Amino acid sequence: MDGFVIILWLVRLGFLLLIYGFLFAVARVLMRDLRAASRGPTELGRLVVLASPRGEPQPGASYPLDAVTHLGRDVNNGIVLDDPFASAEHAVLTYRGRNWYVEDLSSTNGTFVNGVPVEGLGPLGFGDEVQVGEIRFRLDRGRG
Amino acid sequence: MSAVAQARPLAGFRIRPRPRTTELGLLAIVAVTLVVGAASLGATQQLREATEAGVTLKALDFTPPDPQGLLVYLGALLAVHVAFVLAGRRTDQVLLPTAAMLGGIGLLLMQRLPQDLVTQSFGGTQLGLGQLQLAWLLVALTVVATLAIAVRSDAWLRTYKYTWAAAGIGLLLLVFVFGSESNGARLSLSIGPVSGQPSELLKVILVVFLAGYLSENRALLAEESTRIGPITLPPLPYLAPMVAMWAIALGIVVVQKDLGAALLFFAVFLGLLYIATGRPSYVVGGLILFVAGAFVLYNLFGHVHARVDNWLNPWADPQGAGFQVVQALYAFGRGGVLGVGLGAGLPLIGGHLPVPAVHTDYPLAAIGEELGLIGLLAVLGLYLVLVSRGLRIASAGHDEFRSLLAAGLALVIGVQAFIIAAGNLKLIPLTGITLPFISYGGSSLLANALVVGLLLALSDRGAEPPPAPRDRRRRFRGFRLGKVRA
Repeated sequence: MDGFVIILWLVRLGFLLLIYGFLFAVARVLMRDLRAASRGPTELGRLVVLASPRGEPQPGASYPLDAVTHLGRDVNNGIVLDDPFASAEHAVLTYRGRNWYVEDLSSTNGTFVNGVPVEGLGPLGFGDEVQVGEIRFRLDRGRG
Repeated sequence: MSAVAQARPLAGFRIRPRPRTTELGLLAIVAVTLVVGAASLGATQQLREATEAGVTLKALDFTPPDPQGLLVYLGALLAVHVAFVLAGRRTDQVLLPTAAMLGGIGLLLMQRLPQDLVTQSFGGTQLGLGQLQLAWLLVALTVVATLAIAVRSDAWLRTYKYTWAAAGIGLLLLVFVFGSESNGARLSLSIGPVSGQPSELLKVILVVFLAGYLSENRALLAEESTRIGPITLPPLPYLAPMVAMWAIALGIVVVQKDLGAALLFFAVFLGLLYIATGRPSYVVGGLILFVAGAFVLYNLFGHVHARVDNWLNPWADPQGAGFQVVQALYAFGRGGVLGVGLGAGLPLIGGHLPVPAVHTDYPLAAIGEELGLIGLLAVLGLYLVLVSRGLRIASAGHDEFRSLLAAGLALVIGVQAFIIAAGNLKLIPLTGITLPFISYGGSSLLANALVVGLLLALSDRGAEPPPAPRDRRRRFRGFRLGKVRA
């Protein structure tokens, strides 16, 4: 009988060890995942071009954003807009604290967030659409 | 507008298999673990029967109590995995094995408990506790697979958040009016032969609504504030939903007498509010409201009073009100560090289970007794994996709604496991909610399947982008109003 008890005890211990083996395997996957995520610089956000009838910027392109990114028709802007309705210095996207903001730089035809004109400085959430003239962007989370 | 279609191609339903080796490997460990566990359970039960009958066994027989049931469960897991591979979505590979491990441990536990604890007959065949749990697990796996494969867009959740909230409140009212009471709590709703606990479903609806509401008002809640003299308060108009939420939680306690659900809802609400705004003042305010509400409820309502007194001193009435609490503590004590082994726990006392609600409210007491402190910690570790995975999905989310939804779903599982585990261990007063994935019960398994299925769908790295924002008509009008050329 004692032999049985020892074998049974080993099987029970094996069950517990296997659960911990599972946890260990999962922990390794999680660590690998975290390491992959921490590699490379983290972006604050990305601006994806949804529509751009004149092809500048390219539709479908996505721009990693710095804390301050200028938009406008002038070539000195971070993102150059080729649109008859865009002003030379049209708008600026800024990242302050934990939030994105869009500021309309007194442009002639205005900047729209989700179809609503921006007056001065307005908050911008991930997933929101920014429109300048006929060019439409979407703010996405940064990769990595 | 043709460029819109170009930039946002519709995801087709092509079959393009994508191997998921991590998931397969983890599922293999789950299968081996459950088979070894079932073998130890079978051998222990046969050894005990032989000892009780006074017979000496010639050889140890490791046949599990219900080998077909276990095989069906493992087969279903493999089927879900194959379905995921065929669907070819780049979804999370850890969630399914972790939930499957918890579900499997729950299945072993239900097969180990007396089968006549819960019985139901379908067309002449009598199903016991283990078989019923298996049936519900299969339904739950189907739900997980369906959601994880079919849900490609979250527009149906985000657009109709107020509709969902209305549906949730409607469900709550139905329970108020038609619900039936059991164990002093008005929880279950019977529609014909099917009965369920809507509060389990309600927790998912609550998270969907909160994620929608908070993602829309996050900037306002995080930035604005109301100043009254020297005190800076959050913006008062946006506090209204917080107070409403608190009132609903109180209502659940008073009318449904369901302390667990109220605690869960309020904790998840505060957690999401903090995640969305990053302002500790909300949490402090919420906790003050909670303490005030708890104090009033304790003094006004008998069932709350009884629960708290029972928690403070269960030994005041160890054979009556405190019986379950005391027996559960004894069970944890008997288990010690390594446990007595699956199936070797204390047998029935005078034909009754020492802990009557062991399959719903107290599965942790059984785990603590039979698998010991080691097993208990492993189970808690599995919940931790689910939560950390959910938060990881949240931090990688495309936009605020998805992030908040994933975080909220992870919180629901974590907070629920914490509330019932702490209740079992007499850290807080016991509240009757289920241990996710382990407790017996169809409503609980289905609701948690919804949570895992949605998390899997949200974790898809190749998912289509969030839908175009709200007001299309206004955008077009603004567009036409476009003034003269700059």
